[in-house]
Amino acid sequence: MKVPDPISLQTENRHLKVLNKRYIQYIREKVNQLLEVMGTQPLKPEELDDETLLEFDPIGIVAGAFQQILEHLRQTNRELELARDELQAIFNATGVGISIIDSDFRIIRCNEKQRQMLVSEPSEDIRGRFCYEVYCYKDSPGLDCPAVETLATGRAVTLREVKKKDKYFQVVTTPLKDHEGRTKGVIEVLIDVTEKKKAEELMLRTEKMVSLGQMSAGIAHELNTPLGSILGYSRLLLKDKNLTEKQIEWLGIIAEQTKRCSRIIKGLLDFARLPEETPVGRCDVNCAINSAVELLKKEALKRKIRIETELNNVPIVRGSQSEIEQVFINILLNALQAIGKDGRVHIRTYNEDQMVVAEFKDTGPGIPESIRHRIFDPFFTTKPVGEGTGLGLSISSGIVNRIGGTIEVVNSPEEGSIFRVRLVADA
Amino acid sequence: MNRKETVDINILGQVCPACLLVALKEINTHHERLRKGEVEVVVRTDHRDATRTIPSSAEAMGYRVFVKRTENYYEIRITARQ
Ligand SMILES: Nc1ncnc2c1ncn2[C@@H]1O[C@H](COP(=O)(O)OP(=O)(O)OP(=O)(O)O)[C@@H](O)[C@H]1O
Ligand SMILES: [Mg+2]
Repeated sequence: MKVPDPISLQTENRHLKVLNKRYIQYIREKVNQLLEVMGTQPLKPEELDDETLLEFDPIGIVAGAFQQILEHLRQTNRELELARDELQAIFNATGVGISIIDSDFRIIRCNEKQRQMLVSEPSEDIRGRFCYEVYCYKDSPGLDCPAVETLATGRAVTLREVKKKDKYFQVVTTPLKDHEGRTKGVIEVLIDVTEKKKAEELMLRTEKMVSLGQMSAGIAHELNTPLGSILGYSRLLLKDKNLTEKQIEWLGIIAEQTKRCSRIIKGLLDFARLPEETPVGRCDVNCAINSAVELLKKEALKRKIRIETELNNVPIVRGSQSEIEQVFINILLNALQAIGKDGRVHIRTYNEDQMVVAEFKDTGPGIPESIRHRIFDPFFTTKPVGEGTGLGLSISSGIVNRIGGTIEVVNSPEEGSIFRVRLVADA
Repeated sequence: MNRKETVDINILGQVCPACLLVALKEINTHHERLRKGEVEVVVRTDHRDATRTIPSSAEAMGYRVFVKRTENYYEIRITARQ
């Protein structure tokens, strides 16, 4: 065996030492890089000599720490995803409409309910579009828009009542702030208050009618007796043989007008009648419509108005046959009077949930928005004196409400008005 | 007090970054029981910088950290979340 010569061993040894130093240097550098990532200062060689450095295994330690950091991040991501899904579900399940709008009035997001309430095209992508365009059909934000105020003041604003698409809404806008507290958008919450408002209106109407009913019942009763005398005596006088032609004609008018007064009074008494006086009966709606049409056939013919009926198979409803017939006569007569001459009335019956609907659609001028809420008021009429007393619809709504039904009126999208009488099916 | 086991690490007199490495090493060793809340690690140090570096790393790893100052040193208590 050859003994290595000491000189070459020395050279090799020096060479290895240099290499070793470079490796250690590399390890120190990498350790320091890792420590910097962990947010701390580099290791000083005097703190930890090369031997202890390797033994201490700093890279292993930091790797272990990183593993835990990753594990924690994964866990946090899973939790965030879950929270996001939950939030999304709540966002869509809630009974109010929610939209998030940026400071340029662009819709960032909205929930399902909001879509149902205000967006006509269900599949339409409204993200990024202007809220005033999509929700308000305008080309700039309205003056009364609560979002404008919230963006300007950074405060929440409530708009008690706004009408859209034949419905009433309450709107609440709250600011969406960035890290510095500046308002960068609004959260708009939309609540449908139509039912509540309808109930309030009905309540008010009922109250008005009850007090008016009591008063008119008293007056009507008082008037009945003197009217009876006028009628009786004018008829008696008519039997007199010595009257001139003119006098006979005048007496006839007196008798006729007195009878008219009696009819109005009878109407008032009907109107004032209290619910417990009439037991709730059963009524065939289609049958009632046929009798009403039969009764007004001549009048319609005279006016050149066609009455079309589309009577579907509907259940018997609660209510007295003659009263409901009376309601239909009132509505149909109003339609004929509104059309005047030449036109069409379409009557349709159909089922809707537990209700039976009788719908009257006419080709008249429709009802101006300004008086729509008053047409059910007693004595409200737009007809000339002597033609209408303004009791038809108030009596009708009294009858219908008493048996748990409703009368709704809307302007038809094409022309004229639509009256819908909803009656409760008899179980 | 609760029946939690405590791992005490005394690194008084040592300076960062060694402090951090010692603390991390201890957390690594006990990490499973630490996560389950069976163990907590308490580090005692008099090096002020360690009260910043140790909590920030431990929090990134998903632990809860409490720092308490006593008369002569800081006590850093590392426990499971919740
Ligand atoms: N189909 C309709 N089209 C347009 N306006 C209508 C219609 N039905 C009712 N109206 C309006 O509602 C008002 C009130 O109707 P209501 O039946 O209560 O009274 P009236 O018809 O005026 O009088 P009365 O029925 O006592 O003879 C009418 O004067 C009319 O202005
Ligand atoms: Mg009428």
